[in-house]
Amino acid sequence: MLLSVEKLFKKFGGVVACDNVDWSIGSGETQCIIGPNGAGKSTFFQLLTGRHAADHGRIIFKGGDISRLPPFARANRGIAMKPQTLGVFPELTVEHNMRLTLQRHMSGAALRDAIEARLADLDLAHTLNRQARELSHGQRQWLGLGMAIGSNPDLLLLDEPTAGMSTAETQRTVDLIHRIGATGTAVLVVEHDMAFVRQLAVPTTVFHQGRIFASGTLSDIETNLDVQRLYLGKQGVAKLRN
Amino acid sequence: MRELLNGRIEPGKGPVFWIVGALLVIGMLFLPGLVGRYTLLNFNSFLLMVFLATGLALLWGFCGVLSLGQSAFFGIGGYAYGIVAINLADSPWASLAGVAGGIVAAVVFAALLGWLTFYGHLRGVYVSIVTLVVTLVIESFLNQTAGPQWKIGTAHLGGNNGLGRFSGAAENIPSLTIPTGGGNSLVISGSSPTFYYVLIGLIVFTYLLLRALVNSRFGVALAAVREDPDRAETLGYDIRLLQSMTFCIGAALAAMSGLLYVAWGNFITPSVFGVTANVLPVIWVAVAGRKSLAAAILGAVVLQWGAQQLAISGGEWALIVQGALLVLVVLLLPEGLLSLRQQYSRMRDVRSSSLKSQSRQG
Repeated sequence: MLLSVEKLFKKFGGVVACDNVDWSIGSGETQCIIGPNGAGKSTFFQLLTGRHAADHGRIIFKGGDISRLPPFARANRGIAMKPQTLGVFPELTVEHNMRLTLQRHMSGAALRDAIEARLADLDLAHTLNRQARELSHGQRQWLGLGMAIGSNPDLLLLDEPTAGMSTAETQRTVDLIHRIGATGTAVLVVEHDMAFVRQLAVPTTVFHQGRIFASGTLSDIETNLDVQRLYLGKQGVAKLRN
Repeated sequence: MRELLNGRIEPGKGPVFWIVGALLVIGMLFLPGLVGRYTLLNFNSFLLMVFLATGLALLWGFCGVLSLGQSAFFGIGGYAYGIVAINLADSPWASLAGVAGGIVAAVVFAALLGWLTFYGHLRGVYVSIVTLVVTLVIESFLNQTAGPQWKIGTAHLGGNNGLGRFSGAAENIPSLTIPTGGGNSLVISGSSPTFYYVLIGLIVFTYLLLRALVNSRFGVALAAVREDPDRAETLGYDIRLLQSMTFCIGAALAAMSGLLYVAWGNFITPSVFGVTANVLPVIWVAVAGRKSLAAAILGAVVLQWGAQQLAISGGEWALIVQGALLVLVVLLLPEGLLSLRQQYSRMRDVRSSSLKSQSRQG
C-alpha cells in the first residue's frame, strides 16, 4: 500500500468529523471519496494534507508514519494536493505560479524550459506573463492542476476538481485524471457530484457522519440501496423504483 | 546573475530604471561639496534610516508580515552598539565590535521572537500586535533603568536620560572608528562627508543584495507566502521558517539603522522604542509602495526631509501631516504611490491596444 490510514479520529468540539476511519490506496491507483455535505470527507482530506492534525490514529505513507508531520513535510515526501479553491496565486504571474512548484526540483535553464513545457501542455503558454487572476475560471483550474502534478507526486489529492466547470471541461478533467493515473501517480478525488463520479468510474468510498458508509466498485455503490437512500432520501428511492 | 538583478519580483527594470538610478547615485556623490556641514548632518540622519525602511518593505511588502515593532530591533541594535563600544572604549576596535554586537543582538532577539510568533502559528494582525507590544515593553523597562545598579560593564543604561548618562557623568557613545594601522584611527563623525559616503555605499550595496534576494527562488517563495501561506505550505514550503528568516533579515537591517543612528548622534534614549518611532517607518513604506525596495528608499528619505521642513516651519504639524498622509494612502492607494505608475502603464496598454484595433478596423 502506498498510503494507509488506521483508526483515524478527529473531533471538533463535540462533533466527531472522522470516526476511526480505516482506508488505503495503492501505487498508481485512482479512487474516489463521496458523501453528502458534512459527511466528513473534507476533514478526511485535510487530515491527509496535514492542515488538521488527527486526535489519534495513524497515516502510513511509503512505510513511515506521517500523521504528526506538518503540511510542507508531507508535500516534500510526495503528497501533492489541489484545494477546492483552485490553488493558484491570483496576484502572481502564471509563470511564477508554475515556477513555485518546479523550482523545488530544478533550476536554471532546465527550470525555464520545464515551466514553458508544462504551460504548453495546459494550453497556457500564451499567458506566461499575465497575472493568474486575469485567466478564466477554467484556465485557473488547469493551472492549479498543473501546479499540483508539477512535482511528479506519488499521491495526488484533488478536492472537488470540477467545481464550476462546464460539461466539456469536466470531461477533459476526467481524461486528465485517467492520464495522471496511467503515469503511476495514485489519485484520490474527493467529490460530492455523483455525475462526475460516474464519469470517472473508479473504486469509490462513501462517507457518512464521519464514517465509511460503503465502499466498492462504482456499480456496487450505485446499486447499493443504502447509498441511494442517503443521496435521494426514502421517497426518492421509491420514485426511482416506480 | 543578470536575472537576479533585473529580475522578476522587484518592480523597476530595463535600461531607463538603471540609468536614472545610476545618475541619482552619482549626483548624490556631489552633495557634500554643495551644502554645509549642518545640512549634511541632517541628510545623514535621513539616509541612515533607509536600512530600517528596506527591512520593513522586505518583511511587509514581500513576505506579508506587518511588523509594528521594527524599532525594537533598531533600539536593540543601537543600545548594543553603545554598550559594547563604551565597554571597549580603550580599544581602537571598539566601534566595529559595537557594529557586530548590535547586529548579532538584534538577530538573536528576532530569532527568538520569530520562533515564538511564527511557530506559535500567529498571523496577520496578531503579529503586528505582538511586535508592537514587545517594543513598548522594552521602552517601559528601559525608562526605569536610571538607578546606579542598572549597568552592563561600564555602561550605565541611564533610564530616560539615555545610555551612558548617569548623575552628570555623561559618557558619550563613540562614533564610528576605523583603525588605520600604526596606532592611528579614522573617526567618522555624524556630520562628516565620510559618514555620508559610507552611507551611500552601504545603501547601494544593500539595495543590490536585497534585490537579488527577492528575485531569487527565495523571493518567489516569499511572494507565495504573502499571497496564500496555506497553499504555499502544501507546495512544500516551510512557511514558518521562511517568515522567521525574513524577520531576522528585517531585524538585522533595522539594527543597522539603529547602530548607525547611535554612531551618528552619539546618544540613544528609550524613546527610540516608542509608538512614533514605530509608526514612522510604516508611513514611509506604505506611502511610497511597500512592494518595491527602491520606493521604500525614496519614501524614507523624501518623507523625512519633508517632515523636517514642516517641523522647521511650525511645531508639531509634521506628525499630523504624516499621519494624514498614511490615512489617505490607505484609503485611496492601498499599494502606495508606486501603484500610480502601474495604473498608468496599464492604462497605456489598454489605450495602445484599442488604438491598434481601431487602426486595424480603419
